[in-house]
Amino acid sequence: MNVQTLKNKFGSINYGQLLLFVLIAWFIIAFLIFPNLNVYQEIFFKNGSFSLDAVEKLLSSKRAMNSLTNSFILAVSLMITVNVVGIALVLLTEYFDIKGAKILKLGFFTTLLYHGVVVASSYKFAYGENGLVTNVLANLFPSMDRGWFHGYWAVLFVMTFACTSNHILFLGNAIRKVDYQTVEAARGMGAGAFYILWRVVLPVLKPTIFALTILTFLTGLGAMSAPLILGGPEFQTIAPMILTFSKSQTSKDLAALLALVLGLATIILLTIMIQFEKRGNYMSVSKVKSALVKQKINNKFANVVVHIIGYVLFLIYITPVALILLFSFTDAKSISTSTITWDSFTLENYARLFTSMSALKPYLVSVLYAAAGSIGVVALALYASRILHKYKNSKLALALEYSLLIPWILPSTLIAIGLVMAFNIPRLIVGNTVLTGTHWIVILGYVIIHIPFTMRMVKASFFSLDNNLEDAARNMGARPFYTFRRVLLPIVLPSTLAVLALNFIKILDDYDLTVFLYHPVYQTLGVVIKNSTDAEAGIIARAMTLVYSVVLMVMSGITMYFVYGRGSKEK
Amino acid sequence: MSRMMKTLVLLVLTCLVITACGGGNNNGNSGSGSETNSGSNSGNENTAGSGNGDSGEVKNEKLIVYTNSNSDGRGEWWIEQAKQAGFDIEIVGAGGADLTNRLIAEKNNPIADVVFGLNNIFYENLKKEGVLTEYVPSWAPEVWENLNDPEGYYHALVKQAIMIGYNEAEYTPETAPKSWQDLYTNEAFKGKYEAPTNLTRATSRLVVAGILMPYIDENGDLGISEEGWNELKKLYDNGQPMVEGEDLYANMAAGKIGIGTVVSGEKFKREAEYGVKVGVVGPEGGVPMVVEHIAIVNGTKKLDTAQRFVEWFGSAEMQGKFAAEFSAMPVIPEAADQAPDHIKQLFGNMKAQPLNWSFIAEHIDLWAEKIELQIIN
Repeated sequence: MNVQTLKNKFGSINYGQLLLFVLIAWFIIAFLIFPNLNVYQEIFFKNGSFSLDAVEKLLSSKRAMNSLTNSFILAVSLMITVNVVGIALVLLTEYFDIKGAKILKLGFFTTLLYHGVVVASSYKFAYGENGLVTNVLANLFPSMDRGWFHGYWAVLFVMTFACTSNHILFLGNAIRKVDYQTVEAARGMGAGAFYILWRVVLPVLKPTIFALTILTFLTGLGAMSAPLILGGPEFQTIAPMILTFSKSQTSKDLAALLALVLGLATIILLTIMIQFEKRGNYMSVSKVKSALVKQKINNKFANVVVHIIGYVLFLIYITPVALILLFSFTDAKSISTSTITWDSFTLENYARLFTSMSALKPYLVSVLYAAAGSIGVVALALYASRILHKYKNSKLALALEYSLLIPWILPSTLIAIGLVMAFNIPRLIVGNTVLTGTHWIVILGYVIIHIPFTMRMVKASFFSLDNNLEDAARNMGARPFYTFRRVLLPIVLPSTLAVLALNFIKILDDYDLTVFLYHPVYQTLGVVIKNSTDAEAGIIARAMTLVYSVVLMVMSGITMYFVYGRGSKEK
Repeated sequence: MSRMMKTLVLLVLTCLVITACGGGNNNGNSGSGSETNSGSNSGNENTAGSGNGDSGEVKNEKLIVYTNSNSDGRGEWWIEQAKQAGFDIEIVGAGGADLTNRLIAEKNNPIADVVFGLNNIFYENLKKEGVLTEYVPSWAPEVWENLNDPEGYYHALVKQAIMIGYNEAEYTPETAPKSWQDLYTNEAFKGKYEAPTNLTRATSRLVVAGILMPYIDENGDLGISEEGWNELKKLYDNGQPMVEGEDLYANMAAGKIGIGTVVSGEKFKREAEYGVKVGVVGPEGGVPMVVEHIAIVNGTKKLDTAQRFVEWFGSAEMQGKFAAEFSAMPVIPEAADQAPDHIKQLFGNMKAQPLNWSFIAEHIDLWAEKIELQIIN
């Protein structure tokens, strides 16, 4: 019986497709399940027998439990704040008619230029003890505490504004797909502006908002640099502890267990979201396209308020970036104390950049790895999403979907170590070759850790597709690949390209994973930068951190322009 | 849109071609490396003579060297020196814990040939995991007693003292703490010092080891008596936690903190950089002295070259040169003579605290775990 249904199911598949199925199954088994299972075995069956000491150890630690709680508090808070701010940004730049929207948009796009430690440090330049904003406030209120910017609120503030990149990109894409005719029709029937927004526009955005909510939740759970730098003793999260434990020889079990808890929490949330996704039937692509026209806000008072909100947000976004740029031209002393005088300006940092980073090779290596990694993961996600979309209700599709989430349940350090350990002897599953030390393992590493994010976004855009389009193409005799290439791909392309660009930027300066995988002859940008900006490497390194940030910002900016900026202009 | 697809495909292909060419380059590199080296034989003659005298022709293949002490220009300095001596080396720099993890993960098919700069604790772990191969260089007997691995797997290069440092603008030798115990029990220092909360740093771990050492107790938790853990609790309760991205010397210069852990190797450079004078404490019981070593990785395919490299690297001549350049304290008397006066003086005033390295190596990860989970608030 089962065989029969399987036969029926696969009967319609041609051999090319079957090959692709086999390939994807092989990829999952070889690179997602096998190495990570290896790690789990190594960790949890250390002395030949299974032990749950780790659970007990963590439960009895007040600090671990507090940090874990804080991580969850942060994740839940961010789910709300990032969505509020993110949706506001998109409405401001794409939906409402705001004067100077283009400039605002540039400001809101700045979060795409930098990530990680640099973000938290740059906010410290603005809001820290000697920061710009603190100085202004201290002048207004002389009695204020200069060290005000720390703890939960500081972390929430920084992360709320720093984590809207995905909203700007994907929600922006989604809202542009809203059929203006539906808005017009609603208005014709007498619907108010708010009602239209709530009942006509928002439902179209829902699949994207779901996906973004999950990602934001995960970002909150994994928050590392912002709490470390700004959290103070009262608000520390679990991620730094996971990192510390994952590097220790004896505590890897704790790291794996904690990551498992975070991963499972995310997956549970995801499962709930998937149910929502299935229940609703969201059609966002209009058959006869009618471009969205920006809405004028008729109420004068509301209009002024919305404009003010827009420009205040703009200031919040632009300040840290501007300060990084400014401070990269100052000497190390003013950087470490966040104070600037006229004498502090210098070009020395940039001069040093041209002597120490004149070698082209690390840039080239990183760009190539990033290109290969980001294209690889996007190709995989496109194909997997296609399967998920086509075979929505099959058990295999479900298995595929969940096995692609494996990278969420392990910290990236352990994924890297798992890869190296699994493939440093010839393995049959990869053609009896050794992968450790090759380019393949580096690219694989990048592909693996970016799978869940890429999947979420690509899948979200697939699920906002109108099935009729595909049927129409098929009725007209289009082959499956042709349909995919000429009908479906163009629709999901804007989001796909945005994912591509984001992954590219993230891989460009990756260190945490790269350090375990790269071949010494092919140093990446991330490794070179880390080596010359190591926290223990002295004062020059501190100044150089900012210069490298600026370099990366320029590279990210160019990437975004090529992949995204031009694309959106075409329309 | 199909144009976009074509561009994508093209891009992928280009990537593949370039990476494939890159692979080819690798071989090219090592080939050319050996060529240039055979030309500059003279540099190695002495070592080749003492090491494996029978080989008439010395061929140096490109060596992959792992180290955690390549910052502050040290890596570039060694690459340059090695080049002059006819060695072609590529340095992989990372933190001690990362390197150890990487070496252990790669042990079945190692990429590294030589690893230097790590401390005893890491080398003990590497030895236990079978990552190192036994090799006793000719300079080993010159090293001060009890520093080399008695089994001959790793050998000492330079030593670092892990000390309490204080801002001289705030404290005098009289008002400064007398020892770690004084620091964390004396009310006067409460909240005035930086506690070693970042346990991924080797320095923090050594401070912990130094404090726990007198309390070794077979029956205690993780080999340490209850009293020892209580002492450590005081250290963390009464100090300020380290903050990521902030630097002790910078904070001292800004007057934010007065006391913290300093390492001899970087003290002088940082003082000059941040414009702050830091005094150090030499307690009765001595301070943890950590020794950086060098070893050859088990399974290297370039054993001959690796051995010659170790001979050259640890020689009194090279370590002396290194010490003069980077304020290090070599462990070979002849090389130690070349260290700058300020560093000789510093070590003259410091006594080494007796530490049971194998015991520490066996327990330090578990101690760090306990501190993370139970001791730090």
